[in-house]
Amino acid sequence: MRLFSKKIFLLLALTALFQGCKKEKIDFSSQVKPILNKRCISCHGGVKQNGGFSVLFREEALDTLESGKLAIIPADVDHSEMIRRINEKDPEARMPYKEEPLSKQEINILTRWIEEGAEWGEHWAYNPPQPVIVPKSNRLLSGFANSSEGGWAKNDLDFFILEKLVENDLEPSPEADRATLIRRVYLDVIGLPPTLEQADAFINDKSEGAYEKVVDQLLASPRYGEKWASWWLDLARYADTKGYEADRSRTIWQYRDYVIRSLNEDKPFDQFTVEQLAGDLLPNPSNEQLIATGFHRNTMNNEEGGTDDEEFRVAAVIDRVNTTWEVWQGTTIGCVQCHSHPYDPIRHEEYYEAMAFFNNTRDEDVSDEHPVLRLYEGEDQKKLKAITAWVARHAGEDRAIEVNRFLKTLEPKYHAHVFDQFQNGELSGYKWLNIRPGGSARMKGIDLENKNHLYINYSMNEPGGSFEIRKDHLEGEVIARVSLKKAKDFRIIDIPLKGSTGTHDLYFLFQNPKLEKDRGVCAIEWFSFQEDLPGNNSSQLATVKNSFMDLLKAEVEKTPVLIENTPIQKRETRIFERGNWLLQGDTVRPDVPLALNVASQQVTPDRLGFARWLMSKENPLAARTLVNRFWEQIFGYGLIETLEDFGSQGIPPTHPQLLDWLALRLMNEHQWSMKKILRDIVMSATYRQDSRVTEDALQKDQRNQWLSRGARVRLSSEQIRDQALAVSGLLSKKMYGKGVMPFQPEGIWNSVYNGESWKQGEGGDQYRRGVYTFIKRTSPYPSMIMFDGSSREVCVGRRIRTNTPLQALVTLNDPVFVEAARALAKRMVESDPVSFMEGIRHGYSLLTFRDIPDEKLGILLTLYHDAFGVYELDLAAAQAISNDKNGTAQLAAMTVVGNALLNLDEVVTKE
Amino acid sequence: MMNGDQIFETFRNMSRRHFLLQSAAGIGATAFASMLGGCANDRTGQLNKVSDAMAPRPPHFPAKAKRVIYLHMAGAPSQLELFDYKPELRRLNNQLCPTSLLDGKRFAFIRGTPKMLGPQAEFKQRGQSGAYVSDHLPHFATLADEVSFLKAVHTDQFNHAPAQLFVHTGGPRLGRPSMGSWITYGLGTENSNLPGFVVLTSGGKTPDAGKSVWGSGFLPSVYQGVQCRSEGDPVLFLSDPEGMNRDLKKKTIDAINAVNREHYQEMNDPETLTRMAQYEMAYRMQASVPEVMNINDEPEYIHQLYGTTPGKASFANNCLLARKLVEQGVRFVQLFDWGWDSHGTDEITAIDIGFRNKCREVDRPMTALLLDLKQRGLLDETLVVWGGEFGRTPMQENRQNKTNPYSGRDHHVEAFTMWMAGGGIKKGMSWGETDEIGYYPVSGKVSVHDVQATILNQMGLDHEKQTFQFQGRPFRLTDVSGKVIREIVA
Repeated sequence: MRLFSKKIFLLLALTALFQGCKKEKIDFSSQVKPILNKRCISCHGGVKQNGGFSVLFREEALDTLESGKLAIIPADVDHSEMIRRINEKDPEARMPYKEEPLSKQEINILTRWIEEGAEWGEHWAYNPPQPVIVPKSNRLLSGFANSSEGGWAKNDLDFFILEKLVENDLEPSPEADRATLIRRVYLDVIGLPPTLEQADAFINDKSEGAYEKVVDQLLASPRYGEKWASWWLDLARYADTKGYEADRSRTIWQYRDYVIRSLNEDKPFDQFTVEQLAGDLLPNPSNEQLIATGFHRNTMNNEEGGTDDEEFRVAAVIDRVNTTWEVWQGTTIGCVQCHSHPYDPIRHEEYYEAMAFFNNTRDEDVSDEHPVLRLYEGEDQKKLKAITAWVARHAGEDRAIEVNRFLKTLEPKYHAHVFDQFQNGELSGYKWLNIRPGGSARMKGIDLENKNHLYINYSMNEPGGSFEIRKDHLEGEVIARVSLKKAKDFRIIDIPLKGSTGTHDLYFLFQNPKLEKDRGVCAIEWFSFQEDLPGNNSSQLATVKNSFMDLLKAEVEKTPVLIENTPIQKRETRIFERGNWLLQGDTVRPDVPLALNVASQQVTPDRLGFARWLMSKENPLAARTLVNRFWEQIFGYGLIETLEDFGSQGIPPTHPQLLDWLALRLMNEHQWSMKKILRDIVMSATYRQDSRVTEDALQKDQRNQWLSRGARVRLSSEQIRDQALAVSGLLSKKMYGKGVMPFQPEGIWNSVYNGESWKQGEGGDQYRRGVYTFIKRTSPYPSMIMFDGSSREVCVGRRIRTNTPLQALVTLNDPVFVEAARALAKRMVESDPVSFMEGIRHGYSLLTFRDIPDEKLGILLTLYHDAFGVYELDLAAAQAISNDKNGTAQLAAMTVVGNALLNLDEVVTKE
Repeated sequence: MMNGDQIFETFRNMSRRHFLLQSAAGIGATAFASMLGGCANDRTGQLNKVSDAMAPRPPHFPAKAKRVIYLHMAGAPSQLELFDYKPELRRLNNQLCPTSLLDGKRFAFIRGTPKMLGPQAEFKQRGQSGAYVSDHLPHFATLADEVSFLKAVHTDQFNHAPAQLFVHTGGPRLGRPSMGSWITYGLGTENSNLPGFVVLTSGGKTPDAGKSVWGSGFLPSVYQGVQCRSEGDPVLFLSDPEGMNRDLKKKTIDAINAVNREHYQEMNDPETLTRMAQYEMAYRMQASVPEVMNINDEPEYIHQLYGTTPGKASFANNCLLARKLVEQGVRFVQLFDWGWDSHGTDEITAIDIGFRNKCREVDRPMTALLLDLKQRGLLDETLVVWGGEFGRTPMQENRQNKTNPYSGRDHHVEAFTMWMAGGGIKKGMSWGETDEIGYYPVSGKVSVHDVQATILNQMGLDHEKQTFQFQGRPFRLTDVSGKVIREIVA
């Protein structure tokens, strides 16, 4: 043993000597930072700074310690306390404290690094991708000439893969057989298997461009957007309910459809990003651009009685910050809420600077989900156009945009949260202004310049109430007086205001002489101060005004959107001490973390500026993060396995050069086209490989991270459902619209204070693709969740695949899958009414596009016979399993075989 | 500590070992399945190490408890009518609440100045320990010497859904794994034919926070709680489709696995072998779950003891099922009983009417559960936990400055009572005290995270080491706090 360690030591010493001879400078990121992260930073980093020492930032590391000493003095190893302490013999004084001492090699690296000046470096991921030379001429690869010379590689991507395969002593696999390949590419690109005809056409097409033709057809198919939407909606945490206690429905499917449409039209990712993060800030935004902002309205909304709206507004904003950084930057910023990042150079206050971009939207956790986009149709749409044109003609384009925005979003307006100084009144349920007879409340700092109208949304369950609005103080000038009608449901009214200029506090006084002083009967949800409509000199103004009120009162489709606060409504963002939103510290301005703004760009301090910064080519992370996500979807693992963390604590990339090459190609050649980058991937020889694995490859690379074979991955929850419906002929091709409810067992939905129920879809809606299935956050669709689907509570970048007995129960017994088996059986029987053997052959090829091998056929034939034997003697059972009064033993037995087929490993797996 | 990648490795390694074993010994699918269950097999030493996601794994240190039964009274029962006796509060009944208790506080519903509400129950000291238990729980009162009371538990969430999430997942927002998920992730389970983490609900509703209180959060979905139901399939999709008998189902699964074995010869993917084993296990669960969920065949004295009526979803039935499940080696059984939110807005939520009825519903069954576990020698290794998500205010609730029509109390975060029994917990212990009106803790204050740390501790898990790497940092049940409550540990 002793001898052994001596040998190791010698080896290390020699290595060190050798490295020393080479005089290559120690690299901070690849050599020093891993040691600091692993051995030092948990006590000396963003969370704890024991002894006043932190190795997170250089200036902190070089600062004076609590002891008065200096831990690191550049180029002065002898006086650097850190070096003394890691070499200390006394275990009480040695660092890391009470842990295994550092190895000789680690000490050597740290020592040399300080000798060389203790320079800090940047984590690779924070530097923009640099142009990469495709390793075509690598001598080692000479055995694998490129395609044109009849070799393995099909495109440039393959050379990067080959390089690593050779390094790891692995060989690429040949191309998969055509049946496997066509099924694979269909499932990957459109999420559905091909029909038998589509598969046969490809299998028989011997022309050179046959595969390419298929790929291009698939990318152009509307099914493509439906498939890839599931991926994006996991990131967007899209769901059809609001979450938390009552978890009531939310109508935001327009956003889901926006994603499908955008993917189908191959909207460039930069545009896709800007629309979703800041569509409302684009000049005169279209409905589509507003709907896109639903991305961040997918945060949860708490409607539980007695919850503080501000608390859950803040929770939603924090979720938006964390989600944005995870989705676009692969950066885990959540931990910076409470303290500086434990490992990566992001400071506590930088979290709140990042939050400041998102902290200025109008939504405030109110139950009606304001702000919403009101989608006018037909006559209403005509009225909207007419009013907008009217205002443009009489008061100019800018004013027209304002009026149009108010009619479409009811913004800008104030929620009752803005009130204070209550006398005999309060905010009921933290939401509605509720002043009792004789009481009052104040609204602070309202811009009244040219505002002649106040629109409010109120309800009142007793007649006889009236409001007075006074300016500046309780006894101030009365600027409005209005009697309110009893209104059981909320209604919008227009209250004329006496003209004012400038900004004022307003006092609302409520009276109802018929009621006792302690009866609260009136609830007001929101308040909007508006200018007169222009065109005073025209006789048509009255008509326009009527149309205006008609639109405000119209019952229309609505979908939640982001709308920015007006300058006067602007919120300050303050640092939360230790992440506690009730302990607010210094005020901050919107900004991006210094370490991630390598090009030191000026960022316009709003969401639009931020979104544009994200998509600038100097941003090192956005393109890398995206191509990595595509890679993971196709191959099962990312080039960086931790899709959500490109920081120094994430898993380093397997193919760093390929990652950068793809990122640059996405931004430059492809101008952010997602279809084109996907096309590059599926056209490669790497993608087309056979997924059979040799014993040798399994030993060397069990998880296939070097890709010496094709990916073999279990299908996603959506694919499992869609495939069963497709091969059985049940699948509905209908696109878009509100979430649909396929079969679900009784008694799954049981939320408190929620009268909603699961109503199974009809007329084909029960057979829609999984992407359209209604997702209730606190009670997700059972079969989807069992196959690792997401419940969409928070952003999910990758689903961890599991393999459980409950999954087997779904595909064996869930009536959805039994029905699919039945329909598949009918197709099998109909394909050859005489020979059941031919029927089984047909069924197998419908699923795999291959001829069934004799052994498998034998097994399934036996199953058929056994089942037939049972059903021949028990016709009632036969009719039950085939759900058909005329069900024969033949059809019943085939249903059993169909059920088995849908459960085969090769069927639930992409091969 | 395992992260997502390591756990994936575990799945892989398991399959890999199956693969090796199969090629060496050529054993069939049934043998795989037993290995997957993690049963020790003496013939091959290696098999002892075979672990799948749910196979038993050793704790961090020797455990006092092997199983947990957690009884959650959803809606939050009043400690002031059950365990925390406050004679002074009776004296102050109907007096206005001093503003010092209201300033800077946030209540769910109380507005303006409420009045104090004296205890709406009679209290007596019970047993050797002299613990106060009210007349609302006459049966449970006889077991006061069996349990440890925590009378100054504190939470920081005053709404149901966030508070329930806080109790069960350690955080008030959705997305974190529940306690049962953490424990099965850490320890696996002892019976591969049953789910390792079972959830039973009564009271007609799922708890306020929905299924997320037994979700697996960012842990693999295999660790989520499996809801066993009294109506319909006890586990979703457990029963065979109509017209498919057991024998034919067996033949179907054998055929599926035989085809898969052929396919495995071709593809060589270990994942195929895992899938075959899971199909075997699914088949066995189809028999074992209905068996354990069937209480018809229990002897009459057991029905008497629990007050059970077969075929009806009730807390009593769920208590009996909990006993049956832990007896079969299920690791974590979570009960939720809904209907404890006694605001006093109507009879059902009146502290002197509806609340009393709820107490009657749970008193006998929860007592029976402890007695039954004890007589079977299971209590020593089974930790039983009882509690709500917060407590109730010493004030009578008033809304919009009007006193509610019935006696009722609002949500109270400062102090409430929980109890634990069995599983290495002291008997006849009471820890923590509140002030004279039960408003603030005055000693022995413990947090929800402390309770969680203690539960993990009894299961042999160090709550600081039981972590999972997610979004770039290690997460744990107790977030960044939590301390084992040594005072109640035997």
